[in-house]
Amino acid sequence: MVLYRRVKIWSVLLRIFHWTFALSILVLFVTGYYIHNPFALGPWEGSPTNFLMAKVRYVHFLAGYFFIAALLLRFYLLIFGNRYERFTDFIFLRPRNIPRLFHTIKAYLYLGKHESYGGHNPLAGTIYLLVLLMSVAMALSGLYMLYPEGGLWASAGFSIFKTQQMARLFHYFLFWIYLVFVMFHLYLVVWNDIFGDEGLISGIFSGRKFLPAKKG
Amino acid sequence: MSRLFANGLLKLRRRDFLKAATIATAAMGLPVTMVDKVTAALESPKRPPVIWLHFMECTGCTESLLRTSHPDVATLILDLVSLEYHETLMAAAGHQAEENLKRAIEKYRGEFICVVEGGISTKDGGIYCKIGGRTALEILQHVGSEASSIIAIGTCAAFGGVQAAAPNPTGAVGVRDIIKDKPIINVPGCPPNGYNILATIVYILTFKRPPDVDALGRPKFAYGRRIHDHCERRAHFDEGRFVEQFGDEGHKKGYCLYKVGCKGPVTYANCPTQRFCDAGVWPVAAGHGCIGCTEPNFWDQMIPFYEHVPGVEVPSGQGIVGKAERIGKFAIGAAAAGIAIHAAAGAIKKATTKEKEE
Repeated sequence: MVLYRRVKIWSVLLRIFHWTFALSILVLFVTGYYIHNPFALGPWEGSPTNFLMAKVRYVHFLAGYFFIAALLLRFYLLIFGNRYERFTDFIFLRPRNIPRLFHTIKAYLYLGKHESYGGHNPLAGTIYLLVLLMSVAMALSGLYMLYPEGGLWASAGFSIFKTQQMARLFHYFLFWIYLVFVMFHLYLVVWNDIFGDEGLISGIFSGRKFLPAKKG
Repeated sequence: MSRLFANGLLKLRRRDFLKAATIATAAMGLPVTMVDKVTAALESPKRPPVIWLHFMECTGCTESLLRTSHPDVATLILDLVSLEYHETLMAAAGHQAEENLKRAIEKYRGEFICVVEGGISTKDGGIYCKIGGRTALEILQHVGSEASSIIAIGTCAAFGGVQAAAPNPTGAVGVRDIIKDKPIINVPGCPPNGYNILATIVYILTFKRPPDVDALGRPKFAYGRRIHDHCERRAHFDEGRFVEQFGDEGHKKGYCLYKVGCKGPVTYANCPTQRFCDAGVWPVAAGHGCIGCTEPNFWDQMIPFYEHVPGVEVPSGQGIVGKAERIGKFAIGAAAAGIAIHAAAGAIKKATTKEKEE
């Protein structure tokens, strides 16, 4: 008989970050794809107007600001969050995490037993850090296209992307990378819930995970 | 030299002159009260000497200036300045022409404006463009170092243009990549609007300094805003009414060209407000999307012209060419396949190993 204890892992702020981030990405996917390729057309001239593209863009920009707010919150938590939320906990460069990284990879390849570390495992944590960096690129390219005519974002965007077209290409290409990430993320979350015993999915709602009782 | 245009000047009536001066003032974004000042600057008998250099190009910029139906813009530009050297227009040829250039540089050292049209070859010592036995690179370095300021006309002179497109066999670059210590104003476009060229020269004459430029050296009065934001078809964009393909019902009704590859949203220029020719048209008004000709590397980045995002070359060394979308869909497919295999392996493992139920 294995005994578990319920441990608080994710703070309220982190859960707010996660769901703001997730929902904004969902909205950004749909609206962003419409802006890229307006598959549904607005009404033909003569019928009542609805300004479809303008509205979709409005929602996209709004969701973009929520996305940026969530991103800033996560960067704050990377440094000032609890012990599981700080980047020092799961960055794979840490000596403690190198064996854990290989252990996680083995577990994912069905070669080892699934093990719980409380917070992110080093593999997931590394990917999440990359996604956060990618999100910065996404936000910068988006802001460059939103504010193209001078000011901070225009000059910052110019120094990174040069032309608007390059920012647009970047923004669009990263959209596909996000899609791949979301697919993997959802799959692995469900996989971890099935093969692991920490109750991963309920953890992002309640903030609590089940860890073996014997561990300190 | 400018006596060649004396006949042209006589044809320019006072009314046309004022009209052109007013258009130039408007192009610079100045209020109507400035028209007097601009006119006074244009009428000043002291005309700046100009040396106009042609390098790797199609001469389309000069042609587009000259082929106006009545001689306003070209005549004005060419008569505002004392044109000392212009290969397309001057009567002299051969050694005589080279002599003119040398004499003009000596006479107006440090005072003349150098106008450059066309890209400059840099590969293999710049041997791919030679004029009178000297490479374009040498000529530009020589003439440019003696000029007071340089105006790069057209996308070739500004950013290298079509000959700088990948793989750029001649190593073509724009003026700004060669001359670093002079004020350089880029007036890109393929061709640039004649009034933007005029307004740039008029600005220097009126205010005795170059106009404010953006990060790419383009005058802000002409290249400060994106085409999309001033487009006459913008309402159709916001309404979600698009041309699906050329010649369809939406195209006939003049809907937005976004879906057939218009690059207006990523291109900075004043085409929708300044317009071209005497009829006041521009590509989008004529039913064709913008191809982004005022942007650097547009031959590489804006293609395909009838699609939305450029073809991208994945920098793997082996030249896998594909579109962002194709790569993205491939990545999605590969990820889905990977997930499916992984899940199947997990299911098999679950089925084959008996788990102890607590």
